Amino acid sequence: MRLPQSLLLLAAAGSVAQASSDKPARPRGLGPEFAKFYQDSTTFTCISNPSVKIPFSAVNDDYCDCPDGSDEPGTSACAHISRNSPLTVADRPGNHDLDIALALPGFYCKNKGHRPSYVPFQRVNDGICDYEQCCDGSDEWARVGGTKCEDRCKEIGKQWRKQEEQNQKSMTAALRKKKDLLVDAGRQQQEIEDHIAGLEAEIQGAEVKEQSLEADLKLAQEQDRKVVHTGKGKGKVSALSKLAKARVDELRNALVDVRHQRDEARERVKELEDILAKFKVEYNPNFNDEGVKRAVRSYEDYAAREQGTDGANAAVDRDLDEISKADGEDNGVHWEHWENEEDGCNDTDLVYKLAAYLPPSLVSFIENKVVSVKSFLEENGILPKPDADTSSESKAVTQARDALKAAQDTVTSLKNKLRDQRADLEQDYGPASIFRALKGVCISQDAGEYTYEHCFLESTKQNQRKGGNSVSMGKFSHVGTMSVEEVNEAGEVINVEKMMIEYDRGQSCWNGPSRSTKVILECGEENKILKTAEEEKCVYSMLVTSPAACASGEEAGNVVPRSKDEL
Amino acid sequence: MIRSLPAPRWAMLLSLVILLGCIVAPGLAVKHQDFKTCEQSGFCKRNRAYADNASTGTSWSSPYELDPATVHFKDGMLTGVIVKTTTTNEKVRLPLTISFLESGAARIVVDEEKRMKGDIELRHGSQANKKRYDETEKWTIVGGLEVSKSATLNAQSETGFTNILYGPDDKFQAIVRHAPFGVEFQRDGETHVQLNHQGYLNMEHWRPKVDKDDEFGEDESTWWEETFGGNTDSKPRGPESIALDITFPGYSHVFGIPEHADSLSLKETRGGPGNHENPYRLYNSDVFEYELESPMTLYGAIPLMQAHRKGSTVGVFWLNAAETWIDIVKSTAPSNPLALGAHSKTDTQTHWMSESGQLDLFVFLGPSPNDISKTYGGLTGYTQLPQQFAIGYHQCRWNYVTDEDVKEVNAKFDKYQIPYDVIWLDLEYTDDRKYFTWDPLTFPDPKGMQHKLDETERKLVVLIDPHIKNTDKYFVSEELRSKNLAVLNKDGELYDGWCWPGSSNWVDCFNPAAHAWWATLHKFDKFKGSLQNLFIWNDMNEPSVFNGPDMTMPKDNLHHENWEHRDIHNLNGLTLLNATYKAMLERKKGEVRRPFILTRSYYSGAQRVSAMWTGDNQATWDHLGASLPMVLNNGIAGFPFAGADVGGFFHNPDKHLLTRWYQTGIWYPFFRAHAHIDTRRREPYLISEPHRSYIAQAIRLRYQLMPAWYTAFHEASVNGTPIVRPQYYMFPEDEQGFAIDDQLYLASTGILVKPVVHENTHSAEVYISDDEKYYDYFDFTVYQGAGKKHTVPAPEEKVPVLIQGGHIIPRKDRPRRSTGLMRWDPYTLVITLDKNSEAEGTLYVDDGETFDYERGAYIHRRFNYRESVLSSEDIGTKGPKTAEYLKTMAGVTVERVVLVDPPAEWKVKDTVTVIEDGAKSASKASLEFYEQDGGKASYAVVKNPNVGIGKTWRIEF
Repeated sequence: MRLPQSLLLLAAAGSVAQASSDKPARPRGLGPEFAKFYQDSTTFTCISNPSVKIPFSAVNDDYCDCPDGSDEPGTSACAHISRNSPLTVADRPGNHDLDIALALPGFYCKNKGHRPSYVPFQRVNDGICDYEQCCDGSDEWARVGGTKCEDRCKEIGKQWRKQEEQNQKSMTAALRKKKDLLVDAGRQQQEIEDHIAGLEAEIQGAEVKEQSLEADLKLAQEQDRKVVHTGKGKGKVSALSKLAKARVDELRNALVDVRHQRDEARERVKELEDILAKFKVEYNPNFNDEGVKRAVRSYEDYAAREQGTDGANAAVDRDLDEISKADGEDNGVHWEHWENEEDGCNDTDLVYKLAAYLPPSLVSFIENKVVSVKSFLEENGILPKPDADTSSESKAVTQARDALKAAQDTVTSLKNKLRDQRADLEQDYGPASIFRALKGVCISQDAGEYTYEHCFLESTKQNQRKGGNSVSMGKFSHVGTMSVEEVNEAGEVINVEKMMIEYDRGQSCWNGPSRSTKVILECGEENKILKTAEEEKCVYSMLVTSPAACASGEEAGNVVPRSKDEL
Repeated sequence: MIRSLPAPRWAMLLSLVILLGCIVAPGLAVKHQDFKTCEQSGFCKRNRAYADNASTGTSWSSPYELDPATVHFKDGMLTGVIVKTTTTNEKVRLPLTISFLESGAARIVVDEEKRMKGDIELRHGSQANKKRYDETEKWTIVGGLEVSKSATLNAQSETGFTNILYGPDDKFQAIVRHAPFGVEFQRDGETHVQLNHQGYLNMEHWRPKVDKDDEFGEDESTWWEETFGGNTDSKPRGPESIALDITFPGYSHVFGIPEHADSLSLKETRGGPGNHENPYRLYNSDVFEYELESPMTLYGAIPLMQAHRKGSTVGVFWLNAAETWIDIVKSTAPSNPLALGAHSKTDTQTHWMSESGQLDLFVFLGPSPNDISKTYGGLTGYTQLPQQFAIGYHQCRWNYVTDEDVKEVNAKFDKYQIPYDVIWLDLEYTDDRKYFTWDPLTFPDPKGMQHKLDETERKLVVLIDPHIKNTDKYFVSEELRSKNLAVLNKDGELYDGWCWPGSSNWVDCFNPAAHAWWATLHKFDKFKGSLQNLFIWNDMNEPSVFNGPDMTMPKDNLHHENWEHRDIHNLNGLTLLNATYKAMLERKKGEVRRPFILTRSYYSGAQRVSAMWTGDNQATWDHLGASLPMVLNNGIAGFPFAGADVGGFFHNPDKHLLTRWYQTGIWYPFFRAHAHIDTRRREPYLISEPHRSYIAQAIRLRYQLMPAWYTAFHEASVNGTPIVRPQYYMFPEDEQGFAIDDQLYLASTGILVKPVVHENTHSAEVYISDDEKYYDYFDFTVYQGAGKKHTVPAPEEKVPVLIQGGHIIPRKDRPRRSTGLMRWDPYTLVITLDKNSEAEGTLYVDDGETFDYERGAYIHRRFNYRESVLSSEDIGTKGPKTAEYLKTMAGVTVERVVLVDPPAEWKVKDTVTVIEDGAKSASKASLEFYEQDGGKASYAVVKNPNVGIGKTWRIEF
């Protein structure tokens, strides 16, 4: 926080002024920290350019003599000494090649009853009471054009102190909240770390189990080889049925996937059609934009073609629902019946016979597919190889294999979980991972025709207040920092590093990039959006306060033991 | 075919196609098909054909004869009847009046007798007015019509001619030829302007439509209905155009007739290398993404043309508000090879064509550019003296989106210590594009916003357009309809067209009742949320109609008194401005301030009430360059309060272009940055260093010279002189400078600027006409040498500015937040000496907001430097408020005098003597001499002479 610091400085300065009150009065507008340069009452030496000396009577004579402006602490005569000015050689005669910088930060307002402050020289005697910096009105001492600025420090100071007290309270509260957040974040991080440790142990166990099951399977297989196979499942039909079952499952899964994709695509088409329909209604037909007109005409043609297929789709969907159900005694093919078939008829016939066991809806589907399935089978050497050894395994082997499979799945799934958790741990959640505690917390702000929404580490959104249309302004990308320009009290532009959360890949813009948002964070008691601005087309910035952005607090033992770097 | 090509060639071809696509696709181009060419404009096509026939037809002679029996001359006015003999031997009577005016101008008016009497029939049962439109004068002319008492018939006229002597000392003569009718204007016995010299005079008389199958008659294809862009013009009066050729013998340069995006010196228009194919067109239109170096019409029209040659400027003013085309041809007679040193003589022939109305022409015989400005301004009015803030920097954007946004931009300017005076709101501030309302969500507190701006004497300008959303529950629309104040269609029903709000109606400001109503809308209690520091931007007043022909209204629409839109189109924008001006004066009794209105559309006379800008330009270097001739041209055409959108309206300028644009824009009399809604924010403080400082320096330079600018505006307001002036205007004798339109002079301050308008360019070639010394504004480097270009360094932070020797320039050097806050600051006077070691300058000061200056509340001084004495002399006229004003200004002094290039013997001087009127004794002020080398002039500085700006005083060096 810069505020308390500068306060401190000014408070210190104030005490100096008091201590030296028996000395001759400082020149008008001069801050106490510069008083030492104005001790000699005959000659004044320009502060930054000591080679330039002028009679002391030229100090505050409303004429700029020093190349650094230090001779006019109490007037606007040197206000032009700035990089913003179109300086000519005669503006700092004889010294125009010296550095262009004012030696003094501005006109010093004592502001008795409030805190002292500097007001930029360009505001001195311009006829405007700049109470914000100069509550005592001393900046308008010349009373140009009859301007009279009464001293308002008493009331402004009082108000300010009240506000400051509140700010302090708020700051204390903010830090307390931050502490809570840090604790939360630390706990959550600890939980993840614990979880990781647990997972690691679990994986270890599962791997041991996997190894032993592998051994079991081997053993069972060896046992199996010694046994002469008899019993069920022998023969081509059985072998083929297994293959067919796998294939049907595969097709079914594919069907489910494709349907899913179709549904998604259909939704997108619907969305696009809605956009276009709205576009057609809302565009200005008389705007003479050939491109827009063409687009509307094409859409009208398109809309005229797409009619009345909804009913048919429902029937097809019902059929597909049937097909998508798993096979069993009551549904689809009862595979067990086939797996145990001793032997049978002609292999090729068999494929057709399958149809008899299928629900009518599937029949028509299969009939369309049968040729391709058949050729698939042939191509893969399944049908033309009636002599292939397709003997089945013993139940023990199957069981062992299943058990192994299950164990392997467990290991994979645990490893995936571990990977996710580790990735989460490595994710930058800001200093001391503080934003971990805010993840998913949503705040919003009404601004003009929109309500802006920010969900920490998730997304930013722009919701229309009339109509309720919602637009994504970005999905979470990363936490970082960003350099923001601020103007300090001396009117200099300085760069301040601020915490920033970036969101990108938001909804795309018409003729533009996909939307993105930089959320710039400032210390505050509440999580609150202060301002949202569109910096340029579809690039937003959001100023957000949060206790998480307050300085300090991390070192107070709240920080989780392990920092990111140690990972 | 492509498939059979080998891959590399195929790829090459593809990339070529893509490349070409890239060049063509994103490039902005004007939509030519939306605007007519001469070929598509029936009367233009007919008159061009008429001219071709007149030029080439051997047996052809102009069928217009002045009947000698009708000619009368009395009290400075010549009257008579021109008789036109048609192909069918019909005689058409065309009454003629030539008035010789006290100002030295002559005015020729020709009308059609049948139409004057209303003795015609209209087709389609039209209710349109039967007369030729004769009220352009009513909107345009405000004075200068006093007829000359000294004009006399020249007794020595030859037979078949009537000659009139007029003008100062009878130096002017009009030689009126009876058959064919024509007029020659002479000055000092030499012919400068010829009318109907080419025989192109054409006044299409009214005739009934006769159905005939005679293939051999005249081509009637464009006489009756005309269709363009899906709109059919019913033309109830048939063909009615007027045309005339005007020749300027011995003149090779013509200027004026804005608004076009073209060079200052107008080009030829009948084809050939470097020439235009189409005539310059004047038909106020909303041209989307207009192109440069084009004779295409733009938003405004001033039918004033100046012809210039060494030592002489003459002009013509074609007072007609209908669609007008002007062809220009320059013909050079081969020089006699035996006559050594004799230049070949170039004549400029112009051909003026208007669709309807009277023929009404003013002829000015100069002889100087100033004389034209003065006489033309005497007729149409001088530019208004604006409020001081209007000359400051205007920050605009489509759009500042909320009242908070406005306040934040306001605060940022102060934080970064960049001055500005006015922030603008484009149309999005309104509630659903209903003017005189505020969007309740985005601008919930307009008053709070204006109060905030007022804290630093800043202003707000909001957009108010003439199209009124056609909707119920909108009081403006309801009143417009119930009071019958809107424009009607050809059938006399309410005209409905499309503009920003969708379906809209247009207020008809040709109706005086509409003015009264418009005034009520602007009152503080009616336009709720508006305060005294709110001013108005009238846009889209061509009028722009999205679904109309040429993006405007159908020509057969009907206005007040049933004038067709065809007759009054170019005046339309001006009538709205007049209404708004009046409304601004009447906002609240007892609080009269000078109104400020920005307009896009204009006609002669708009300078009295508004400022203009060059419309929707683009962020390209070419558009930056084009802004200079456009602004200069407006200045010489009597409407000097002009500017272009700084930064370019469409697209994003990079920081280099933006910096150069600010460095150029500070020299526009109207200095406003503006940007399209789809562009990135580009307020000066957002630009990264060092360019932010460069831009800030440029803006502060504008503010530093504010006293000089305000004085220049004052001069324009009393003399009609341009505020920024082109080369020929300053040096009318120097032929080398006539075509120069990329450098400018700030009024009569001696400041010469050559803005850098090219990318990656870090020096400027400044042309100097005379042999005075010119000093670099910043470091006093000396440039001298007449009739050649001088290289002036122009790194990116610098705009090349020189000061001619012989001037005293008033400045205010203290940077403030706005012009209002500079009011009490002391002055700096910068003096450059001429060859005779003399210098002169003027200063005009008033309160910058009220009309009190009309009652003497102003300071007007002439500064003289002669024989080592600088003096200030009062050149104002005292009025009832003078003393009171001087009292308020008593504390404002001169804090510094900088004398550039002083005599070397001043090195030993260290004081000057100051003698102020009324002071008991003379006083001393210190003087310091600073030597410079390397081609830079030395300078001397007088510290704190402490003389009052409103006082008479002397400083003896």
